Amino acid sequence: MLTNAKAKLKGSALLSLLLIMVTVTACNDNNSGSTASNANSSPKTSASDNATANASTSESKAATTPNGPTGKYDPPIELTTVRSVNSAAELPPGDSLDSNIWVKTFKDELGINLKNLWKVNDAQYQNKIAVTMASGDMPDFMEVDAQQFQILVEAGTIADLTDSYAKYASDLTKGSMEVNNGLRLKAATMNGKLMGIPVDGGDITDTELIYIRKDWLANVGLQPPKTMEDVINIALAFTKNDPDKNGKNDTYGLSLDLNLFNGWSGLDGFFNGYHAYPFNPTKGSATTLNFMKGPDGKVQWADTQPEVKTALGKLADLFKQGAIYPEFSVIDGMKSAELVTSGKVGMTFGAFWVPTWPINNMYKDVPGADWGIYPLVSSDDKPALSQSMTGLPSRFYVVSKKAEHPEAPILLLNTYIEKLYGHFDKNYHTVTVDGKDFGVFGLSPVRGGMPGNNPKAAAAVQAAKQSGDTSALNDEQKQYYDQVAKFEAGDKSMWAANKLWAADGVFSLLGQYSDNNLVFQSAYVGNPTTTMIAKCPSLRDEEVKMITSIIMGSKPLDYFDEWAANWLKSGGQDILDEVNASGQVR
Amino acid sequence: MSRRNWRLEWPLHLMLVPGLIIALIFSYGPMVGIVIAFEDFIPVKGIFRSHWVGLEHFKYIYYLSETREVLRNTVFIAFMKIVGGLVAPLITALLLNEIRIKSFKRTVQTIVYMPHFLSWVIMAGILLDVLSPTSGIVNQFLSWLGFDNVFFLGNDQWFPYVLAGTDVLKEFGFGTVVYLAAITAVNPSLYEAAVLDGANRWKQTLNVTIPAIIPITILLTTLALGNVLNAGFDQVFNLYSPSVYSTGDILDTYVYRIGLASAQYGVATAVGLFKSVISLILISLSYLAAYRFANYRIF
Repeated sequence: MLTNAKAKLKGSALLSLLLIMVTVTACNDNNSGSTASNANSSPKTSASDNATANASTSESKAATTPNGPTGKYDPPIELTTVRSVNSAAELPPGDSLDSNIWVKTFKDELGINLKNLWKVNDAQYQNKIAVTMASGDMPDFMEVDAQQFQILVEAGTIADLTDSYAKYASDLTKGSMEVNNGLRLKAATMNGKLMGIPVDGGDITDTELIYIRKDWLANVGLQPPKTMEDVINIALAFTKNDPDKNGKNDTYGLSLDLNLFNGWSGLDGFFNGYHAYPFNPTKGSATTLNFMKGPDGKVQWADTQPEVKTALGKLADLFKQGAIYPEFSVIDGMKSAELVTSGKVGMTFGAFWVPTWPINNMYKDVPGADWGIYPLVSSDDKPALSQSMTGLPSRFYVVSKKAEHPEAPILLLNTYIEKLYGHFDKNYHTVTVDGKDFGVFGLSPVRGGMPGNNPKAAAAVQAAKQSGDTSALNDEQKQYYDQVAKFEAGDKSMWAANKLWAADGVFSLLGQYSDNNLVFQSAYVGNPTTTMIAKCPSLRDEEVKMITSIIMGSKPLDYFDEWAANWLKSGGQDILDEVNASGQVR
Repeated sequence: MSRRNWRLEWPLHLMLVPGLIIALIFSYGPMVGIVIAFEDFIPVKGIFRSHWVGLEHFKYIYYLSETREVLRNTVFIAFMKIVGGLVAPLITALLLNEIRIKSFKRTVQTIVYMPHFLSWVIMAGILLDVLSPTSGIVNQFLSWLGFDNVFFLGNDQWFPYVLAGTDVLKEFGFGTVVYLAAITAVNPSLYEAAVLDGANRWKQTLNVTIPAIIPITILLTTLALGNVLNAGFDQVFNLYSPSVYSTGDILDTYVYRIGLASAQYGVATAVGLFKSVISLILISLSYLAAYRFANYRIF
């Protein structure tokens, strides 16, 4: 029985057991009384807190707290947090998460002494956060995911940041938070109160583009696609007309693997071409759904719309004609990447990072191979919208209710954004020691993107290239400019960088997407509902099976209707009702 | 006498203590967590303050459409693995035993034992190539024999058999070693007597070797019954894909996708508990059987 029990730990039980052990410890803490537990767990903190408290009562006039986005705490305050360590990241010599340029800057410029209560490998961060949440011994602020965020809000252990944000966030910080009609902030707002600071979101970094082997296009005598019809013709020509000129019928037109919805070898872009916006990843959380408003003003699920069926029909036809690898349903992204890099497949839909992986070395290593990058095309006269799920944040900073200075993390964020996006200072981004580059931007305990930064940089690089004047470029942009220049001077290893920043590169195309409003985002901005969490994993499996079997021809196309009706019956209608009633529909 | 024994043996008993403590902390302590199966567990609230839901999760599992399918798959796959894991090593051991060239015997023994040391991640990568319908060596062989190509990993009719087959392929070397050891322990005088009675090799195998190793065979089989619900998370997780969920999904992979991937700890624990109860019954039965037929006992 014992060994049996141990064997079973492997899958299901492990996490639950871990949580239990933790909870038991946590309860002990609670039983011994909250004051005692505080004193036990961090005697140093409380001692210094007392000192600060004493100081502020006795010399309250001398102590200053900033009363706006800038300013400094005097005397300095201590701010606790917790960190995850990226196991792959190398730190510059002498730096650590406890002591680095950010920590020093925060201390010097803001009077904030950062203290990391613990640091773990990023793989363990989720578990350790669950432990921290269970123990109730939260740091002043920490980073959590969407689900943990919701739990913390319900448990009432985190601070309302509405006033702090209004008073302390700098214009630049507010600008980054309020892009896209404030969608980022909306996702962090519960019952009208701002409960967290979004880490990500607001950008469209998962929108897809079409990647096609240019040398193959020339070999089969075709032009880059203007419509979905062209895409299908190219895929068929790549399959049947021997695009690699080796005299063998050994190539496929469109790359696809079992993940179906993916930034590489995915189908998102293909569906978008037919104005269909399904999204339900094979791996990971099944609760990310795309919703759209129907003609009656009510929300509908994007995946059950008739446009999806149209696109599925085209895919089934492509598969039948041999344009898709016959074993796509059992290969993963690594394997589909192998097929492409070994010259078996000539076209894929993918995100902006595809030039950096997996096709990054093909230009250098495979004679004649060159990839062209094209924006999504449409099946009719309406332009194709590229779907994006990253407009909504998935991670948040939350501040403990017990924190004495709930506004302090916002001040940190102001400084971070100022150093990296306001007046770019390379020392805060990347430092070079002995010819080796180290990214130091990730050492900051708060991070925040500036949505649209990369397309902006690409535009600046191209403007500088045209005018020949690089004086307007900041250090970051100058770096990209140099990479493009190196590629043009014949350095083939700079191919990927060139594809990122050049005029026909991915960031220019992403910039066009957002400039021309060619992005589709879900109408629902709330968190996963109860039924989503309970039903989505098994509903997702059904959908993936449906799509796979229709493409492979083992089920007729009309099976789509049967599946869509079944989805509504087995929980889908409840999900729609919840979403419609949530009040978080745009 | 018992007093003298105690005086001599107390250091040995003392040596048991660390193991006992570890077992208490890591194997018995966590059993408290079974409580999670009966509540709407929220980590931040902890076990004692989470909402109590009684048998709600068990009802939920019962009404999930796939549960019965998954349970059936689990039992079917595990059963085939047990049968394959019994027959394949037994036959290999008997055949190897007949080989008199020591070096050849050793080499074969090592080669069939080797896959046991490969992880399923690596095995899955190899199998994907070997079983491919377009370029895999197995299908090339099949078409050479005039059969149609088979999509072993993507066809839900074939998939459970592929699971059983590859599991046997990976593990039968291990069983072979056990049986070979049992055969070595057979008293040589039995063979000599059989030869005097005029038995050839086949008759010797039939009448001496096989009866001699029947107890160990029964023992290994009955013990394997206790594992019937452990159809192998690693293997299935690395080999399956959505198109074969209907026949290849087992309890462990199902719980992983439904429970843990979406943080439904209560449901995941409920399935785990359910599995434990069935396993307890099965292992009790098999222990009873092993005691009856092979005179096997722990104490």
